[in-house]
Amino acid sequence: MQIILSNSSKEPIYEQITHQIKSSILSGDLKNGAALPSMRQLAKDLQISVITTKRAYEELEKAGFIYSIVGKGSFVAEQNLEVMRERKLKAIEEQLSAVIMNSKEIGLSLDELQQLLKILHEE
Amino acid sequence: MFNLIRRDAIIQKRQLLLFIPFIIFFIVMNSHPALIFMVASIIIPFNAYAYDEKAETNILLNSLPYTRKEIIASRYIGAIVYMGISIGLTSLGLLVFDKPFTLTDLAIGSGLFLAFVAFTFPLFYIFRGKITTVIMISFIILAAVLPPFVSFLAKHLTIITDLIASLSTSALYTGVAVVIVLLYAVSWGVTTSIYQRKAF
Amino acid sequence: MENVVELKGVAKNFKGFSVNNMNLQVKQGFVTGFIGANGAGKSTTIKMIMNLLKPDVGEVKIFGLDYATHEKAIKERIGFVYDGNVFFEGLNLKDIKRIVGPAYKKWDDALFYQYVEQFKLPLNKAIKTFSKGMQMKASLAVALSHHAELIIMDEPTAGLDPIFRRELLDLLQELMLDGSRTIFFSTHITTDLDRIADYIAFIQNGELVFTQSIHEVAETYALVKGGMDLLDRDTEKAFVHVHPAPTGFEALTDNIKAVNTIFGDSVVIERASLEEIMYYMKGRKSYV
Repeated sequence: MQIILSNSSKEPIYEQITHQIKSSILSGDLKNGAALPSMRQLAKDLQISVITTKRAYEELEKAGFIYSIVGKGSFVAEQNLEVMRERKLKAIEEQLSAVIMNSKEIGLSLDELQQLLKILHEE
Repeated sequence: MFNLIRRDAIIQKRQLLLFIPFIIFFIVMNSHPALIFMVASIIIPFNAYAYDEKAETNILLNSLPYTRKEIIASRYIGAIVYMGISIGLTSLGLLVFDKPFTLTDLAIGSGLFLAFVAFTFPLFYIFRGKITTVIMISFIILAAVLPPFVSFLAKHLTIITDLIASLSTSALYTGVAVVIVLLYAVSWGVTTSIYQRKAF
Repeated sequence: MENVVELKGVAKNFKGFSVNNMNLQVKQGFVTGFIGANGAGKSTTIKMIMNLLKPDVGEVKIFGLDYATHEKAIKERIGFVYDGNVFFEGLNLKDIKRIVGPAYKKWDDALFYQYVEQFKLPLNKAIKTFSKGMQMKASLAVALSHHAELIIMDEPTAGLDPIFRRELLDLLQELMLDGSRTIFFSTHITTDLDRIADYIAFIQNGELVFTQSIHEVAETYALVKGGMDLLDRDTEKAFVHVHPAPTGFEALTDNIKAVNTIFGDSVVIERASLEEIMYYMKGRKSYV
């Protein structure tokens, strides 16, 4: 599991951790049931305080990405595929909106855009 | 507790090497045996005090799992233990140098030492920091004026011991012993209560 | 037992200095950093926690126990490191071990030698020949060798070079892998805490200003920068202290929400470092 923290980021450290673990889970790098390092181990590895990793894990647990068993540690929770698909779809929608906005800015027509997408998709 | 007493010997490792020539000096000077017994007994416990003032020992000792009562108890018990050892070594020295001594000398020496401890130990905790210098200086002066004083004292001590010997009943000895033990116990109690109120 | 150290309404008066109405909790399993300017009362508080000083009023509980009845049991479980050397200067580490070791039931010789090796400390050299950093390492080796649950350190990083400070923080993090262990340490070098502290206790002029998790601190305090024209008697109320300059003001707030409502986007809001919080708190107007 790779986590890269930035001290100069405006985003609090615990959020950086939750985001990165979330994307590892969503991308499939972290599989269902995979064990996460203990809070304390992660804190030591990242050279941050325990309370920060604790908070990150709590947030992940609340969002249903991981679950904890007392005395055993934290594990990646089984993700509902339907929900995940919806999430991905939403992300794609957002990205496409950005593409459309950019296209409009330089006056690219819908046809031209579709053409471009088709070429890229076939590659 | 035993560890606290042993500590005094560990800190003074090097000084202990001076202990033997020091006693021999007194023996060679023909000091009165009772006096040598007393002086020899004084060295280790009092030097330990001098040490404890230098380092922030009280902070260390009180941060370790000891109670203040135990720290003081180790002082008072330690004084008796080191007195026993010193008297043993001194007796050996006297035997080696073929100087005669009696059990009475031994009793007077240790009695004087215990009385001395009873008076000075509480003072250490009342005037922390200054008292060692005072005691060490008076000790040096004592050592300096000792030779002329000793021959004088020796005669008198013999007279006193003779006197006591002639007068004495076991009751007299017991009486003196009881007084010293009482003094020691009171001193122990007073020092403990002073120490318990100290801030470090 | 959630709080390893608990001070309730503790006060101690000295000539010209006092610690007042101190209510301090140190949570088990976490690192609590104790910050404050020199002379704010950090050492006095630590001495009361160690029972070197008895408070005039109030209650001190360690591991939920009272010093009056459980002094030995408490100290058995504490490892301590003080600012200065408390060991006999003329002795070497081996002798110090011989003095300190038997005091603890749980003393672990093997562990001690492991730290001695890790810290590259000489066993047969007198402590007085040690550099400041080595003395600190020696104290640490002694403090860590009896499986203490609570480690109390008074200014452990003062006078140490940045490399060793970093090593020390690494070591402390390693110790924290054991979830039952608690560390409480005072410092005026607040950057030490940015990395490892879970909770911050801030003392000023003998009074505890706050004990908060680092997240609470980050969510409560912020640095606000903006043009002088934004300041007036009303808007200034949102700040703990304002530092005005011709180029604009910089201020500390303990009410980020209020600042957002009052100033909106016209000011820059940044996270306040512990150092900045300490600095601005010092200049704050009296409690009105």
